[in-house]
Amino acid sequence: MADSKDIESATTAIILDGIVPDSRTRRYDRQLRLWAASGQSALEHSRILVLSSSATSSSILKNLVLPGIGHFTILDKSIVTPEDAGNNFFLEGPDSIGKSRAEETVHFLAELNEGVDGRADTRELRELLNDPKGAAEWLGTYTIVIAHNLDNGLLEKLSTLLWEDESLPPLVVVHSAGFLAEFAIQFHEHTIIESHLESSPSLRIDKAFPALRDYALSLDFQNMDPTDHSHIPYVVILVRVLEEWRNTHNGLPPQTYPEKQAFKAKISSMKRKFDEENVEEAESQAYRCWTTSAVPSEISALLSDPRLSQPALSLPPFFRLLKALKKFTERHDILPLTSTLPDMKANTEEYVKLQRMYKNRAAEEKAEIREILVEDGGAEGVDDVLIDQFVKNAHRLKILNGRKWGTLEKEKDGERIINALESSPKQAATHFGLSALQRVLSKRGNTNQSQRQGQLQPPKITIEELTAEAQALLPSGASLPETEWNEVAGELVRAPTADLPNSAAFLGGLVAQEVIKMITKQYVPVDGICVIDLIETWTGVI
Amino acid sequence: MSVQPHFNGSAVPHDWAGRYYHIDQILNAPGPRTDPAFLAGDEVKDFLRNQVKILVIGAGGLGCEILANLALTGFKDIHVIDMDTIDISNLNRQFLFRQKDVGKSKATIAAEFIMKRVPGVKVTPYHGKIQDKDDDYYMQFNIIICGLDSVEARRWINATLVNLVDPENPESLKPLIDGGFKGQARVILPTITSCYECSLDMLNKPTAFPICTIANTPRLPEHCIEWASVLEWPRIHGDKKLDTDDPEHITWLYKAAAARAHEFNIEGVNWSLTQGVVKNIIPAIASTNAIIAASCCNEAFKIATSSAAYLNNYFMLIGTDGVYSYTFEHEKRDDCPVCGGEALDLSISSNTTVEQLIEMLVEKQDIQIKKPSLSTPTKQIYLQAPPQLEEATRPNLSKKILELVPAGGEITVTASTLPFSLSLRINYT
Repeated sequence: MADSKDIESATTAIILDGIVPDSRTRRYDRQLRLWAASGQSALEHSRILVLSSSATSSSILKNLVLPGIGHFTILDKSIVTPEDAGNNFFLEGPDSIGKSRAEETVHFLAELNEGVDGRADTRELRELLNDPKGAAEWLGTYTIVIAHNLDNGLLEKLSTLLWEDESLPPLVVVHSAGFLAEFAIQFHEHTIIESHLESSPSLRIDKAFPALRDYALSLDFQNMDPTDHSHIPYVVILVRVLEEWRNTHNGLPPQTYPEKQAFKAKISSMKRKFDEENVEEAESQAYRCWTTSAVPSEISALLSDPRLSQPALSLPPFFRLLKALKKFTERHDILPLTSTLPDMKANTEEYVKLQRMYKNRAAEEKAEIREILVEDGGAEGVDDVLIDQFVKNAHRLKILNGRKWGTLEKEKDGERIINALESSPKQAATHFGLSALQRVLSKRGNTNQSQRQGQLQPPKITIEELTAEAQALLPSGASLPETEWNEVAGELVRAPTADLPNSAAFLGGLVAQEVIKMITKQYVPVDGICVIDLIETWTGVI
Repeated sequence: MSVQPHFNGSAVPHDWAGRYYHIDQILNAPGPRTDPAFLAGDEVKDFLRNQVKILVIGAGGLGCEILANLALTGFKDIHVIDMDTIDISNLNRQFLFRQKDVGKSKATIAAEFIMKRVPGVKVTPYHGKIQDKDDDYYMQFNIIICGLDSVEARRWINATLVNLVDPENPESLKPLIDGGFKGQARVILPTITSCYECSLDMLNKPTAFPICTIANTPRLPEHCIEWASVLEWPRIHGDKKLDTDDPEHITWLYKAAAARAHEFNIEGVNWSLTQGVVKNIIPAIASTNAIIAASCCNEAFKIATSSAAYLNNYFMLIGTDGVYSYTFEHEKRDDCPVCGGEALDLSISSNTTVEQLIEMLVEKQDIQIKKPSLSTPTKQIYLQAPPQLEEATRPNLSKKILELVPAGGEITVTASTLPFSLSLRINYT
């Protein structure tokens, strides 16, 4: 054990605080690996409002309470019915019947995580919305609002109220019946820095920065020790070969197929041994020499946002940074360098040397972004951590425009509806089926839980009734796809008010996942209406 | 108003009126996509609630969700197998467990919780390995759902269920519903549809770092961690086994890795990364588990009741960029070693030695056999166990395959971890 002691004494200098994570970090270990401390902190500061405590609502909340949201409120004035007790895991079977549904579900959900605060609110949404000012103030205290199978009139009112004031929270609208379901998120605009999208940033081999270029040119490949030769990273090899190529080709990289082959052959001829792995890697990565490092089109599109011409200080931090990025790209025609270098064949010394070059250069370019920000007067309230995140993710920034709930049906020309009916008839039929069902039920008052109590027979709805309601939602000239509509409508009249445990659990996972993306501002939430069919088991987005 | 459940003499609780209001909307009438054989009404309800016996393998992230869904759906006789005990890092998603349960059997605690929460459901736990059970045990179930994170265990149960099929006895065909922690759910009808083994090549290859990188040219923090666990631990601790669940062992590795990283100017070694690398941790959250478990239980419900068509046969969800899913029919492989019946063709160089072939089998994506033993119909080529036979066949390792097997000849590959053998038809290039 003598050696292990040596290691311990050698490392004490670099171990600063407690090494083993505390119990909170260990509890959240598996999710911290997905959204890091920043995402977790956003979750822990969030306040969620859920309207109703149906099986689906409870399932959604379960998947938010477990990862550790800060607070949740369930607004529900109804009493637990025998039907509720049969399909909601967060009720205690018949023992819960007759008690407040909100209080019971809050109790059993809060048990899942001591760090989460849960509250039951037994007031009635209808009455709360009668006072729009008071309602807006109350709703404004939440991060996001979730509504499952809410009465259509109330939903219209609520979504309008939340939409009118941009400072009010996003609304998640969830509809389900039997095996079919859909949900959509109403939000104004959602900006994402940490999108986690899988596009990789440029290594700038075609536009080598001075330190990299100088280093590549300084090496004497011919007279190098063979072992050293086999440890030169492919990035350095490519920069060197490209430089030499350009010198004999009017400054241009390989253009045609034969040229590209010749270029590869040139690399291959550098091999000292037949299996020199770093040279082989260079050959396989040669395409990087004729792929121009430029601003990706998705990012260019963001940079053409008209708001960027406004004074920086009038903009939110994301757009101030975007404005600085725009100026940077105008100067350099390229995105700032990221310091992350992929692994490649090399020895430690060469790899670390290269890594340091990238790191230093990235720091310089980040400093330039900061300078622009300061010159623009937009630096206030933008800390270094944010700039760092922004620059690291500059190649995969994302802005979702968002829309109001129900916009699809209200578009004047109905072009999107017509497109959806044609290109994805199954998805469109399911969406119109669920919307129509919700309207039919709302007219009858059947979604109001207190009215349904003790009524053991599900409502009888006819296909004709449902079809008429769905057709009323379509723009003139559009029609429902016959086969798909018959399948959807038949399934909906079979089980118009069934909140099936498996469908509830499926939606619970899917909706919670999107809510987490909204709250953490990480990953990309669904943009549109997500439709789900659990007979054939598919999801789609329209 | 409060309704107490009534129990009759046999301790089977009666359901309360309205309990199945939601599910019964499906069971009382067929839908447009329901098989004509569906028997709506009392018959199917009786079958689901009083006759079906279902087995859940795994009581972890997927298992907890699966058990809760099955119980609410109306399955009353549920069995669950899990060999693990509860760890604190399970609590962010395995919602049947609490802080006080840490260290206890997952199967037992999960079963107790379900029975307390959902009256009238019987959950029978088994704290142990699936390999402890024999064919008779598996024969008693109508459906088996897998919520496992181990490829090996899934291969074992898949092969066991395929072997169980007796064409003379329709009862011997047990639908297997497999949930994957990465976002897959699939329905396997052993011998009829593609099986787990058929799709082995779809698995991502685990990241393996070359030993020379670890030993000589580390570049990433991961290389330093691998060095600490693969080379430094055995050097210092000899035969003492590394327990990746022991925080003290992880701390030791972390310190060793950090020291090495410091020496090589490599940044980024921390405790959490150390644990992640040595335990091969895959990030996991409640929501992904919920989606996949729900999908598995939904298929079990549809298969048990015929109330709607079931998944044919593979569903895959990718949730990082919006909601994207892919539903498709995975095709059966004729040369699948478990359900295909045909030998797998393998072309090798005439210089290949037995040892090289073994290495190749371990590496090959559609085979992945850890410690293969090889034989031909007439002789043993190399056996991993028992020790006497291993020793007797060891000299063959350096021999060329060509000396032992003629072109077009077959080699049978077996491994103790897999309940099946693989036939290779050898061709020389």
